[in-house]
Amino acid sequence: MFLNVKERGDCVATFRWIEVRLMEMLAAWVPTTPEMEVKLVFGAHVWDAAQHADALGRRTQELRLPLHHSLAPSAEYVGLLSELAATSETGRRIAGFYDCVLPGLEGSLRDYLERVDPLLDGPTVRILERIMSETARMVDESRKLREELPAVQLDDAAWLDGLRRRQASLTAAIPVLAQQAARA
Amino acid sequence: MTIGYIQVRGGVTLRASPAREACYRVVTDQSDMSKFADGSPEHRREMLHGDVNEEIQSLEIAAQSLADFPDAPWEIRLHLARQCWDETRHARAILRRLEQLGGWKGEFPVINQEWGVVCMFDSLAGRLAVQNRLFEGGSLDVLRESVVLWGQWGDPTTAEVLDAVVADEVAHVRFANEWLERLKTEDPRALLKAIAAMSAVRAWAVALTPPGAVMEHEIPVNVEDRRDAGFPLE
Repeated sequence: MFLNVKERGDCVATFRWIEVRLMEMLAAWVPTTPEMEVKLVFGAHVWDAAQHADALGRRTQELRLPLHHSLAPSAEYVGLLSELAATSETGRRIAGFYDCVLPGLEGSLRDYLERVDPLLDGPTVRILERIMSETARMVDESRKLREELPAVQLDDAAWLDGLRRRQASLTAAIPVLAQQAARA
Repeated sequence: MTIGYIQVRGGVTLRASPAREACYRVVTDQSDMSKFADGSPEHRREMLHGDVNEEIQSLEIAAQSLADFPDAPWEIRLHLARQCWDETRHARAILRRLEQLGGWKGEFPVINQEWGVVCMFDSLAGRLAVQNRLFEGGSLDVLRESVVLWGQWGDPTTAEVLDAVVADEVAHVRFANEWLERLKTEDPRALLKAIAAMSAVRAWAVALTPPGAVMEHEIPVNVEDRRDAGFPLE
């Protein structure tokens, strides 16, 4: 059973909320990250996240919600993002964002795509496909950054594993998807 | 992680410097910046080195405003996000040129006074008025003059880089000017904050200038780009 219009609107609004939060997280890190090359990558990706949020926000209006409507994800996921936002060590910022949060978000987008009729929800499908492609580029740029600047490689793999495990356990990060999965 | 405050020349309080790598010597007084003979190789590299830091400060200011004003209209936040990307491209392009000319990151002292001044204001209208209208508006003149200067020094490559930068800066000044114009009718109180911020900066500029420092020459007004950026023609 595919997601209905109301459920799709809520999902898109939640994805928008997340992209805005990611934009703000990167923006807040720009002045407080010392390494210039990292600062420049974060700054460039602020614009990527903003464009994703903008496209999703325009789509919410086509799904019977206000223009640029946002819906917060689960409190646990909001908490995870807040904790990551508060980290100050450059290696953790990069690893947490590009090796955990972005792949996690991509997983949620894929999950969504499996639950919609690609014909009826064509505009959202196009937007999400574009976001996934650009997210892959962002992750790739973070990989190149770390090759260029080995000093910002994470030296605490256990921390990243813990963050990934926590994110994986948040099955209800996008409430609508979690509810549909439970029904199925 | 927040950035604190510092007291500088004239008893003026500014936001402390944003994070910089250890290779940089960050100074807080204009008199501690390097000075070289006009047009010498060191002078040219110092100019580009300063330009890289200016672009990074502009990035940091736009990014900080995105973080500090989550309730600002989405349209303005989108402009600020685009500005972040533009400033990263400018910093990269100028740094690349600096390196081609034999320079390197941290070769000269840097000063983060624009950041220190702009981030003192607690309203987005104030920050946009000072950073995008006043400072970046001024940079339209300075950069256009630099384009001419680098051309005269027989370096069309650097002139080309700086010309591309000015073209982007026009858009940054324009969106601020358009928004400030709209505030006249939509939010006059916010506009008053913008005007107060610009007045404060003019007073600080006097206090922050080292004694004996004089403007070496009058910078020609970049009429075309200023007109495109939404400044009145007169």
